[in-house]
Amino acid sequence: MGIACVAFIGPQNNPMYLRSIDPASDDLYMKLHYVIHCALDAVEEKVLLKRGPGDSQDAYLGLLYPTEDYKVYGYLTNTHVKVLLLLDDEGAVKDEAVMRVFRRLHGLYVDTASNPFHKFGLPLSSPRFDAAVDGVVSIYRGAGASQGGFMT
Amino acid sequence: MLRSGPTGARNAPALEQINAEVFTLTYGSIVRQLISDYEDIEEVNKQLEQMGYNMGIRLVDEFLAKAKISRCSSFRDTADVVAKQALPMFLNVTANVTNWSPDQTECSLVLTDNPLADFVELPDEYRELRYCNVLAGVVRGALEMVNMEVECRWVSDMLRGDDCYELRLKLKEHRDEKFPYKDDD
Repeated sequence: MGIACVAFIGPQNNPMYLRSIDPASDDLYMKLHYVIHCALDAVEEKVLLKRGPGDSQDAYLGLLYPTEDYKVYGYLTNTHVKVLLLLDDEGAVKDEAVMRVFRRLHGLYVDTASNPFHKFGLPLSSPRFDAAVDGVVSIYRGAGASQGGFMT
Repeated sequence: MLRSGPTGARNAPALEQINAEVFTLTYGSIVRQLISDYEDIEEVNKQLEQMGYNMGIRLVDEFLAKAKISRCSSFRDTADVVAKQALPMFLNVTANVTNWSPDQTECSLVLTDNPLADFVELPDEYRELRYCNVLAGVVRGALEMVNMEVECRWVSDMLRGDDCYELRLKLKEHRDEKFPYKDDD
């Protein structure tokens, strides 16, 4: 229960990071890629609908679309990096909790991109980043999903 | 150099400060540029050390002018001053001085936090890079200007998986003060 997959997509819709939280077979990975790929269209749609000229820019896009197995949530940074979460929660999902996960993931991305050896726009390959993502996910699993909030 | 927190330095004088991220990212770009210019990690290590040396021989004057310290009576004192006064003043970190050799000429400065290396993860192909070598150069340069010939090298580095940053200092020679002029000049 909780977060099934975390993905970071670059400004040109280039995949930078896609990770299934539970160990996944190649087939499952293909499926995750597919779901994420479809979600990118939903991101664009959402942005067009949501953002008039005078609107304030909120990074959190909310629920993009539900599939049979997952609910896809999106977050768009000001540099057009998209963060996508696949949730396999059955019950109601608290926006507040998901938003916090996104904020933390955004923070992690910023720190990782600040590594002078990180090649910009290329996939994120960093053991520290992997571990930190795991941390965020497990906090969400532990407390966030059921009570709708966890301490920051 | 860095923003100093309330728990930061012990009686270090307030210097002009720079945002920590600007500092860290600037240093990171310098290291990257050196790597792409020299293409040889050993050479990069050497250059970083040399840059640090050039900084150290200038910085020591500022340190002595602004820090309110008295004359050091032994190398032990000197190491303490470097760890507890100079590092907090310029880098906003303190170090512990440990692992003294029996003859008191070798010791280690141990740092657990190093603002130079925030965000940094060394890729495998740069395993031999001593990322913070500039610090070794600074210490060597600064001590050389106060008549102490020391050898500085990093023996542990958190970027390479150790659990702290350890800078080994070895006193090679303590020269007497020499004046380049004579009375009748």
